[in-house]
Amino acid sequence: MKATRRRVVITGMGMVTPIGNSLDETWDGLQNGRSGVARITRFPADTLPTQIAGEVKNFRLGDFVAAPESFQHCGHNTRYAIAAASMAVRHSGLDPERIDRTRLGVYLGSGEGQQDFENFITILAHASSADGNVDVPRFNRLGMEHLHPMRELEQEPNMPSGHLAELFGAQGPNSNCLTACAASSQAIGEALEIIRRGDADVMISGGAHSMIHPLGLTGFNLLTALSTHNKNPASASRPFDGDRDGFILSEGSGVVILEELEHARRRGATIHGELIGYGSTADAFRMTDAHPEGRGAIAAIRGALADAELTPGDIQYINAHGTSTGVGDLVETVAIKAAFGAEAYRVPVSSIKSMTGHLIAAAGSVELITCLLVIRDGVIPPTINYEHPDPQCDLDYVPNTAREARVDVALSNSFGFGGQNVCLVVRRFTE
Amino acid sequence: MNRAPRRVVITGLGVVSPLGIGKAEFWDALAAGRSGIARLESIDPDGLPTSIGGEVRGYDPKKFVPTSQRKNLKVMARDIQLAVGAARLVFEDAGLSDNRPDPQRIGIDFGASMISSELNDLAASAVRSRDAADQFDYRKWGTEAMGHMPPLWLLKYLPNMPSCHISILYDLQGPSNSITQAEAASNLAIGEAFRIIARGAADVMVAGGCDSKINPLALIRLCLLEACSRRNDAPAEACRPFDSDRDGMVAAEGAAAVMLEELEHARRRGARIYGELVGFGTGCDARPAGAALDGTGYRVALAAALRDAGMTPGALGYYNAHGAGTREGDLVEARALHDVFGDHAARIPVSAHKSGLGNAMAGCGALEFVAGLLALEHGLIPPSLNCPRPDPRCRLNVVTGTPRPLERPSFVSVNATRLGQAAALIVRKLEDA
Repeated sequence: MKATRRRVVITGMGMVTPIGNSLDETWDGLQNGRSGVARITRFPADTLPTQIAGEVKNFRLGDFVAAPESFQHCGHNTRYAIAAASMAVRHSGLDPERIDRTRLGVYLGSGEGQQDFENFITILAHASSADGNVDVPRFNRLGMEHLHPMRELEQEPNMPSGHLAELFGAQGPNSNCLTACAASSQAIGEALEIIRRGDADVMISGGAHSMIHPLGLTGFNLLTALSTHNKNPASASRPFDGDRDGFILSEGSGVVILEELEHARRRGATIHGELIGYGSTADAFRMTDAHPEGRGAIAAIRGALADAELTPGDIQYINAHGTSTGVGDLVETVAIKAAFGAEAYRVPVSSIKSMTGHLIAAAGSVELITCLLVIRDGVIPPTINYEHPDPQCDLDYVPNTAREARVDVALSNSFGFGGQNVCLVVRRFTE
Repeated sequence: MNRAPRRVVITGLGVVSPLGIGKAEFWDALAAGRSGIARLESIDPDGLPTSIGGEVRGYDPKKFVPTSQRKNLKVMARDIQLAVGAARLVFEDAGLSDNRPDPQRIGIDFGASMISSELNDLAASAVRSRDAADQFDYRKWGTEAMGHMPPLWLLKYLPNMPSCHISILYDLQGPSNSITQAEAASNLAIGEAFRIIARGAADVMVAGGCDSKINPLALIRLCLLEACSRRNDAPAEACRPFDSDRDGMVAAEGAAAVMLEELEHARRRGARIYGELVGFGTGCDARPAGAALDGTGYRVALAAALRDAGMTPGALGYYNAHGAGTREGDLVEARALHDVFGDHAARIPVSAHKSGLGNAMAGCGALEFVAGLLALEHGLIPPSLNCPRPDPRCRLNVVTGTPRPLERPSFVSVNATRLGQAAALIVRKLEDA
């Protein structure tokens, strides 16, 4: 029965990351073990516990759209999404004018835009007494006077998906999910289902996010989730390494064009791979901690494999969630071992977050694109900064240098804060 | 071409709203045509152009979580506290509180907004971040200010936390998603959960949404967009969907959840079935930046939902409108309805439940969907309030005054965002197969 369901292929890819503002530049960086992590330049972070991040560099929206000023109030999420989607659409050769636009949709896993932080905090300070009691009417008046309507509106996380629909005339299904670090993988998984079911033929999908702003950094620092290896930014993100001490906040966007196979064939599109498996689960355990035995992660891996009608022996590469946190990397290792059994020690597992840092909602989209490039070029990007083996993390993490290997099937893991887990499986396209 | 999808029914309702907590209070208020909109009490609106809203009153979240979990309420923003109440009620109503389904076969899909921080969580830090010249000082932010924020501040406001808290409270280990698509969020979450069960990825899904715009920063944001009604002296009459004298929306809060269940799973346990979810469609205006909305999102969503349901407009019992009460928005919606429903558009009864609930944004779709399910249950369409002079340009058959009999046992529920991102759901009374 399953053989009759519609097949979904990837016909376009685009990304903006801390190591490059294009597919090629990012991929080159990943293969060469280049880190995109450096001291924060966006605001003075010198007195925060964490002073480093993976910022997107030398980004110009004007390189991607004719009238960048019409997006002046948008957050970095929308700007990066526009760039990545423009690249992906061009890469796909798709002309949105020539397809049924009610069958073209957008599903993103985008985070919120940036709060107008200095302005907001100034207003709040002026409305508060020295001991922190807020005079709400005064806050109301100052807010009405000093906050900018569009800058406030553009913070809503549905704005990137709406702006992409505007740019490409996508009148079909339109959604945005925000399941923390799993969001863009989840968006791609649900977009896959939308096409499989026949509710659309082409979906622009992925994610975009930037939490490199004072409240983002502060919020994660208060949770003690971030690395404080401030002196050595390039080696701060150390997934699975014995000295890992937290993740690195970064930003960017990854967008793929998902297309129903016959639709892609009819227009002679180049097919970069087939999306064949999606699994979504929840830990249902604790708000602040992953389930210690990886219960939800294991179920997500199994769900994606079952959806793909594959077994662990078929997987030739795992792109790990691998954020460089003590518990997270351990639990992911435990989960891979439980789901893969003896096969766990055979499969290469790498975390590109060692180079890109953690793009939060956008992470999964960039990592799925990486899997497609691994399949295309036969090169597995390394986990860099792997120097001190952790006896509890004993898989093949492709340490420090890229490895040539033919890969036909890859699994991408994304595990969100709060226990939402998503796994995707992609395969080299064959008839 | 595809596998025959499994059928999905609704077996439980939970609602925490300005019109009451629990389905009985909620229905009584809807049927009586009461308004939940009043002068704001939980925050001081002085200084804002709007001083009214749809507040949830008399809600004690402690009563809705087990004693062992009460400490977690401290790390739940208002939106999330409302959501866990709706979750408790939906489990009770579905008869699943003590009789839980297989944890791996039950999941959640829940709508939420970007959650605005309570000012008190940031004020102590804000006042400590000033330099001698009263300018914001990043150095002081790091050294003196940030430590005065609650350590778990970030988790209190993440929009995936409604789903996560509910999954923890009720051991929901199956598919889990959080939709952040403003007013369309709840409908998208319910529609997606419908698809998840239909394709076999779960047997039972909790679906719905939550939001609270009763927060100074959230209200400022809405007021800056000039979206809110100025009828501050007549709160109950302020939200006037499709009326000639409408002048804007009214901010609100609330949460609602429905229990979606695969038909055979529901039958085997003898569950009460409110109706069958038969249609889901989404679309988007996709107009160039700055161009006026043209209703394409509504048209695509409604047409897709009808096609999905295999129904014609003539078979629909009522149109459960987005109808926020804004001048342009209601007109765009009405025109789209005429385009899709043709001659039926002027005949089909229309009720806009925001007229009494206000606009709870990411939660509005779930609240209104529950209102529709209760209409189906009672065979009555609750009235749309404040429409004494229907806008002749809208040409809709708005239900006013007292509830009207529901002649055909089905309804369509629609919501849309400022960018024309729309989602429609169609429910029909279960026909015995």
